[in-house]
Amino acid sequence: MDRDELVSRIFLRSALPLIKDLAEEQPLYKKLFPKKGVIQLQADDNEGVAAQILFEEGEISVRPGKHEKPDLTLCFRTTAMLNSFFAGKTLLPKIRGLAKIHLLFRVLPLLLGVKILLPNALPEDAKKRALKVKLLLFMITNALSQLNKGGDEEFLKTTENSPDRIFQWTVKDGPAAFLRMKAGKTKAGRGTYTRRRPFVHMIFPDIDSAFMVLTSQAPLVEAVRLGYVVTEGAMEGSKEMGYHMQRVEELTGAYA
Amino acid sequence: MAARETSKGLTWTIADADHMTQAEIYGEVLTQLGEKNEKIVALTADLAGSTKIGRFEQRFPERFFNLGIAENNMFSLASGMSAAGMLPVVSTFAVFASLRSAEFVRTDICYQNRNVKIIGTHSGTSFGQAGTTHHCTEDLGVMRTFANMTVIAPADSFETAKAVVAALETEGPVYIRIGRSFEPPLHQDLDFDFEIGRAITLHEGTDLTVIVSGRPAVSALEAAEIAERNKISMRVVNMHTVKPIDEEAIMKAVTETRRIITVEDHNVYGGLGSAVAEVIAKNGKACALRSLGLNDEYSIVGYPDDLLNYYKLDADGILEAMQELLTAEIEEDEDWEDEY
Repeated sequence: MDRDELVSRIFLRSALPLIKDLAEEQPLYKKLFPKKGVIQLQADDNEGVAAQILFEEGEISVRPGKHEKPDLTLCFRTTAMLNSFFAGKTLLPKIRGLAKIHLLFRVLPLLLGVKILLPNALPEDAKKRALKVKLLLFMITNALSQLNKGGDEEFLKTTENSPDRIFQWTVKDGPAAFLRMKAGKTKAGRGTYTRRRPFVHMIFPDIDSAFMVLTSQAPLVEAVRLGYVVTEGAMEGSKEMGYHMQRVEELTGAYA
Repeated sequence: MAARETSKGLTWTIADADHMTQAEIYGEVLTQLGEKNEKIVALTADLAGSTKIGRFEQRFPERFFNLGIAENNMFSLASGMSAAGMLPVVSTFAVFASLRSAEFVRTDICYQNRNVKIIGTHSGTSFGQAGTTHHCTEDLGVMRTFANMTVIAPADSFETAKAVVAALETEGPVYIRIGRSFEPPLHQDLDFDFEIGRAITLHEGTDLTVIVSGRPAVSALEAAEIAERNKISMRVVNMHTVKPIDEEAIMKAVTETRRIITVEDHNVYGGLGSAVAEVIAKNGKACALRSLGLNDEYSIVGYPDDLLNYYKLDADGILEAMQELLTAEIEEDEDWEDEY
């Protein structure tokens, strides 16, 4: 898998599915959902780069891969262009299925809502900050898992020989997410993994502290000094995971 | 010269520990405790020299009883002395205490719940060249099935000293299993907490837990340090009390690391491994368990350290078991689908 495809995997499988969480946060959006419909995003230069947004009985979900009969398709000429779209660049894809263009308008607020994940989105509003922290936690853990499942050689060095280990991120009285790894396999999960103690546990005392760290406004060493994050467990493991988180940011940021 | 240890009034030093066996430390501590408590009486069956309680005999000849080669009588007598208000401490080889005299320990001491302390020396394979008949790899299994009995297996001389003090402060029968050879020290001094039934975490870790009792504790700690250099996080729990066992420490290991290796110089049946397995089964939590010990066999003859290596109870053996356990596909939690 080349770099473009690897990054598209992160965007399509880690960022795009978060529109479901955004919809949960904003019941108003849900009222716009059609009873049925499929919107597809795809890159025309790679058959494997595609994802579907599915509406069914007023619910929304995202699945990887191509749909047999999408109602509306957003076609990006290249995978790199699809990546740039998700990285915040203004790009207009080719649209197939204009007869059902209304579907796009119904999902557009959610797609625009995902922009809250962009590094330059630094909301002042407490609710929006909390939302960004939650989505970032879900996205980071999932992106790391995609890095592994996409065959990133550097991350495989960490996962391949790993015993069963949990890397846990927790905001006190707030959201939590984890990454489990074992012998080359990974799983991104939401909430707290309860079956074993984390190998590394990064604990944020509150949303604001998590916001400062996860948006890189406070460098990690400074964040630790100021108490924005407390790490329990293996410090070396924490450092190694921090490095891979940084790599995810660099990989996706390269398309902005 | 090392500073004198004053914990619990003991006055031997680290320098002493360097050239004293577990049994010698036991004899030394018993003598010191005898100064404070005149109810303490010592009994042996012609093994005062081997079990190192000669010092007690020299200091308190009127409170020392050599019963000759008559272990069964010795345990019955100890029971009677306890009934008469004395505090008997009985010393003999572990193999005689737990096997030859098993019925007397059970019926005269445990059934009556007498306040008798039994020190079994030369336990496990620590008697090395003395031969299989004098090794004792069944005593934990036998002793812990006797109701009322407390069973302790200290890891080194310092722990032996603390165990003897704790046993004498505990009402009811207590069996302390110690070695014979010059076991390397696990602790550096007496500055650690020792409580009967409360395990000591020697090394923190999250990948797996080694629960160990007796002299292999030193091996386990060495293994944890080697594992750490190879980025494996091994917890080491020193389960010095096999009964009552520290269930909390075991279940913490189950829920936090989910992989456990037990290590003991004993048959894998009946001892520490079995006791840990009972706790896990009782609590109903899934966990992978490996037991290192003598695999239901009688020990061969050799130097004690060579025997530890032969039975994979040294650091190499523990690391080998670790590798196997970490790669084993054992968990039912094999769902690797990312959550959305």
